[in-house]
Amino acid sequence: MKNKGRTLLMKNKSRTLLIYGFLIIPLIHLIIFSYVPIIGNFIVSFTDWKGFGEMKFVGLRNYQRMFTNTEYIKMFKNCGWYFLVAIPQLIFAFILAVVINGKFRGINIFKGIFIIPYLLNGVIISTIFIIFFNNTGSLNVILEWLHLDGLKHQWLQDLRLVNPAIASISIWRYYGMNFIMFFGALQAIPQELYEAATLDGCNKWQEIRYLSIPFIKKVLFINILLSISGSIQVFEIPYIMMNGSNGTGTPVIMIQQSMSTNRVGFAAALSVMVFVIVLIVVGIQKLFLKEE
Amino acid sequence: MNETKLYKVIRYVILIAASIFVIVPLVPLIFMAFKTGAEYSSTSVLEPPKSFTNMYNFSYALRVGELGKAFFYTAIILVISLAVQVTLTAMVAYVLHRFDFKFKNAVKIMFTLTMFIPVVATQNLVFRMMYSVGLVNTMWSVIILYSGVGIVGIYIMLNQLDNISHEIDEAAYIDGATHFYTFIKIIFPLMKPACTTMIIINGIGLYNDFYIPNLYLNRDVQTFTVALYKFFGSMSTPFEIVAAAIIIGIIPIMIVFIFLQKYIYNGLAGSVKM
Repeated sequence: MKNKGRTLLMKNKSRTLLIYGFLIIPLIHLIIFSYVPIIGNFIVSFTDWKGFGEMKFVGLRNYQRMFTNTEYIKMFKNCGWYFLVAIPQLIFAFILAVVINGKFRGINIFKGIFIIPYLLNGVIISTIFIIFFNNTGSLNVILEWLHLDGLKHQWLQDLRLVNPAIASISIWRYYGMNFIMFFGALQAIPQELYEAATLDGCNKWQEIRYLSIPFIKKVLFINILLSISGSIQVFEIPYIMMNGSNGTGTPVIMIQQSMSTNRVGFAAALSVMVFVIVLIVVGIQKLFLKEE
Repeated sequence: MNETKLYKVIRYVILIAASIFVIVPLVPLIFMAFKTGAEYSSTSVLEPPKSFTNMYNFSYALRVGELGKAFFYTAIILVISLAVQVTLTAMVAYVLHRFDFKFKNAVKIMFTLTMFIPVVATQNLVFRMMYSVGLVNTMWSVIILYSGVGIVGIYIMLNQLDNISHEIDEAAYIDGATHFYTFIKIIFPLMKPACTTMIIINGIGLYNDFYIPNLYLNRDVQTFTVALYKFFGSMSTPFEIVAAAIIIGIIPIMIVFIFLQKYIYNGLAGSVKM
């Protein structure tokens, strides 16, 4: 944590009181709602606890079930789709950030349009895309207009297509956010460097290749890791649109269902899995950024 | 600038294509909100409604979906949570920035480590706690969960404190002000820009949150997202009414966006600088 400031060295009793008085509530909140449940989940994951009554130790049975039942394995695999779509999403966001970085007419209107999806909640986005992917929805109508009837599908019923279809909604939903982050990083490049590049006779492509891309590397890396840790936590879209049916379940949907059927022990094991994956991803990010 | 004509053309082509990509899925929703039930079932989703003055769906949605009540609860939850969250975050940042004390590093590490703990991996047991103290199905469970201090907020505030001179604190101290008085009357008001950024970014996040309110609020108390979900989940609600309800829900956030977009861009871009 960076802390450039000098500190006040004046000592008195009220100073100590103030420090701990200001920290006590947030720290208690943190312990009760973050640390206790994550450690608790670890313990409960080795039991068959139902949320009430006694806890019986069952060893690794919850984990065994998670890794041997094909239905559960598929839920983790589904997360792969959400990560896969992050690749075009980031490329798309990057291209937009590069071309919009400059001064020209209409720049604010375009920025405003690209940020719209970020402002909408999961229920709204799910509704929009049910209308989009329905059998009589916009996608099939557009394909008909383009005389591509062969490509028309029952997007949400076809078991092979449903996961890639709903995962691709993430592109629409999140690329605006990635775009703003990339754009912020590009804006941080000193204007003199662009001027120097122009004086040296760089064309636009060389400017992007040798100036924009190196500068944006760190933000790109952070965004890739955000996408990985986001894809393991996918919940809203498949839950609201499909209720996890047609093989669209994800680990977090499964946690929710186990909770509501009082299988707290199993939900705890799933929570630990999600936690460990996020831990690894964020850990990589912190290690890498520290080395720089 | 080294922008050739060709580049300028390519730029507009890319930007317009990207805008179409954003807008196309939204169009049927807007059309739908103005269509009558019969019109909806007989026309294609991409066909405009006969008239854009048909307000029936909107008034129906407001009456039946209990959206007014949901907006009321959403507003209360947002105001309380954001006020508590911003005040506590400013307090933590002030202490971490201006003082040296025994467990400072331990405290910093505790806040930093929460980045590794996804909310979805804790709710299994947090729900049990809330249930055992009887807070499930009350808005207090949601408000309490929303009132935590996050590391991103602390960073935004610390950056702001870097720009507030120490001489201000020292002058106040020499004049006999206590640290508490200095914080409340002098420093906190100077942190207004950071507070505004945090309120807007977190406000949008909380307004749009589905996971927590869906888990904790069920019967009488609902936030807008949950009310919309119930509305949309019940098969008896015609789709054109749902579309109208959604348009109603988008209006507040669009107003916030139009007037405060600067803070949204800065807040989002700033959150990666940690």
